[in-house]
Amino acid sequence: MRQLDREQSGHLRHWDELSRRQPNDWSLMQGKGTGQDDFGGYRFQLAYMVYGLALTHRHRLPAAPGLFRPMMQRLIDKLLLPEVWMYWRDVSRGGSVFNAHLADRLGEEWDPVVRDNIMYSAYVQSCALLHDHLFADDRYARPGSLTFRHWSFFWGGGEKRFAYDRDSLTEHLYWQMVRNGYVGIACEPNCVFQICNQPAILGFRLHDLLTGGTRADDVVAGYERAWAEFGRLDAGGHYNMMLAEDSRAVRPNEAPSPWVDAWCGTLMNTWNRDFVRENYPRQVADFLVPGPDGTLSVRSAPARQVMGQPVVTDTCDTGWVAAWASEMGDRATLDGLLAHADRFMAPTWRDGALHYPRNDTPADACGHRTEIEPMTGNVLLGYARLNVADGLWGLYNEPWSAAHHAEPALVEVDRDVEVSRAEVVDGVLHARLRRETAVPGDGAVTIGRVPAGARLLLGGTELDAPAVDGGVVVRVPDGPAVDLALVP
Amino acid sequence: MTAPPIRAAFDLVDHHGREVTERTYRGSWLLVQFGFTSCRVVCPRALAKLSAALDALDPPPGLVVPLYVTVDPERDTPDVLRAHLEAAHPRFTGLTGPPERIEEAKRAFLVFARRRPDPDDPDGYAVPHTAITYLVDPRGRPAHHWPDTRDAADITADLRRLVLSPPPDAR
Repeated sequence: MRQLDREQSGHLRHWDELSRRQPNDWSLMQGKGTGQDDFGGYRFQLAYMVYGLALTHRHRLPAAPGLFRPMMQRLIDKLLLPEVWMYWRDVSRGGSVFNAHLADRLGEEWDPVVRDNIMYSAYVQSCALLHDHLFADDRYARPGSLTFRHWSFFWGGGEKRFAYDRDSLTEHLYWQMVRNGYVGIACEPNCVFQICNQPAILGFRLHDLLTGGTRADDVVAGYERAWAEFGRLDAGGHYNMMLAEDSRAVRPNEAPSPWVDAWCGTLMNTWNRDFVRENYPRQVADFLVPGPDGTLSVRSAPARQVMGQPVVTDTCDTGWVAAWASEMGDRATLDGLLAHADRFMAPTWRDGALHYPRNDTPADACGHRTEIEPMTGNVLLGYARLNVADGLWGLYNEPWSAAHHAEPALVEVDRDVEVSRAEVVDGVLHARLRRETAVPGDGAVTIGRVPAGARLLLGGTELDAPAVDGGVVVRVPDGPAVDLALVP
Repeated sequence: MTAPPIRAAFDLVDHHGREVTERTYRGSWLLVQFGFTSCRVVCPRALAKLSAALDALDPPPGLVVPLYVTVDPERDTPDVLRAHLEAAHPRFTGLTGPPERIEEAKRAFLVFARRRPDPDDPDGYAVPHTAITYLVDPRGRPAHHWPDTRDAADITADLRRLVLSPPPDAR
């Protein structure tokens, strides 16, 4: 039986709450960096909430599309907001130490997916495709369904509008890969990160599943050949971080930084499981710090100084190592990291929602790590709790068949209903539901794809629930969780 | 699979020393592969595969023109190309030219190729390159592409559909 525990439900509730914020209300999500150009940016938080929802739906609550679908749509809506991608107008001009020599050739680019910036475009692509794959939908195939637009009353002239959809964006990314010899698409100009090209590969795979084709296999074959020249790993056995497009100089994970290995390993497990697993135990051991009572924390690399400036960024080291351990099925490491977070990182419950608030203080008086970023505290610890071993691998390699989408399921879930179980076992839909009175809502779920003559049981009592448009609406009573069964 | 977003354009020299452009071949389907004659793995495999696909298709003379465009113009002169192709891959016509025209062709076809040191090469370098094969229709429009991972049977099947039974506007 697959059932969520209290903390897992708390993370889902928190993601639901963040997804419902008014446009440009980013409270609790702001990190240390300026201008959305670092690893704690809204785009990463939004995208990995979508990924976490996809993993939870695929592996834990497969019969609750009504819980996940609207949440994913709201998060993707936010991913398209200009506040999320307007950094590209500035970053596209170059000027970092890696592309300062190119700055004269680079101009301001408003379209956030037309060149480079795979650290954004691949998330838009893969999130839209996760949605359409998991819900057997064509929502993001509609022309213009992924449109980036900006207009200000105060400056900038006319509207900027760049219209894409899941197909045109995938096609565009694919041909950028081809043009670059499959080594990958750059994030900042001239900087091709291994990490940030992995979501695009997941996107190609999902696109192949939806439309046919072999884009993912083609790209993986080309990627393997291209990186064979440089090596996936550096001399220290950690993942090479990035490649300078023009000089072909590889930047190793020199510190090493936990996030480089953890993020890359998590995502690369989709298509390269044996390699990732072979290297994981040795790599992760370099980053873990044992603490009291079996707790584990993550040792970050010292903040770098570049051009006489300290690099200010949310490393999200703790969160990425937790996500990596969850994908590897390393329960002991994951439990140790979560125990540390619960003890030293101020778990906070509000209206049934769980998160770990940002804390910039490196450690407490006893030296226990307390620093945590919004990406870790809002998203990645929840992601790690909700993921299963080989969760992303399963999304990539074991897609749902059409039969899944014909099974009975909770197709609508009101905001105030907590779903801790939703699966079909031997033809019977089983769900566990609880009314969360701290948030507004009508306390109902709608069961769709109901077989003729099916019997509905709530708390063991047979119900004669009203049918609407082929579905059945069930009111969830106040009080403790109740079990629902739909028996054909 | 949609048509590749390339410009099928070039201004080069064939392996007989004749100036050619994409317009030279109007009326024929072009099968275009980029590579270099010193390539030890990717090109021999690709050219052998494409030759096998064409053997299986057995098109009438002139219907399909297979072209092999070098990304290594310094070594791949017309004579070198002709000797290499006539010996091993006689269906193909080699194209070369001044480096700047090769660069233009690469840009037009979205081909990546970059010289790098190779201690196993007698001249000390190799030119890793994109191994996509393009099909251009008789009007000069990009029609299809095959990544390196497609096998000869797939390519033959696609060619049979596209070249032997094309839609009216592709003839």
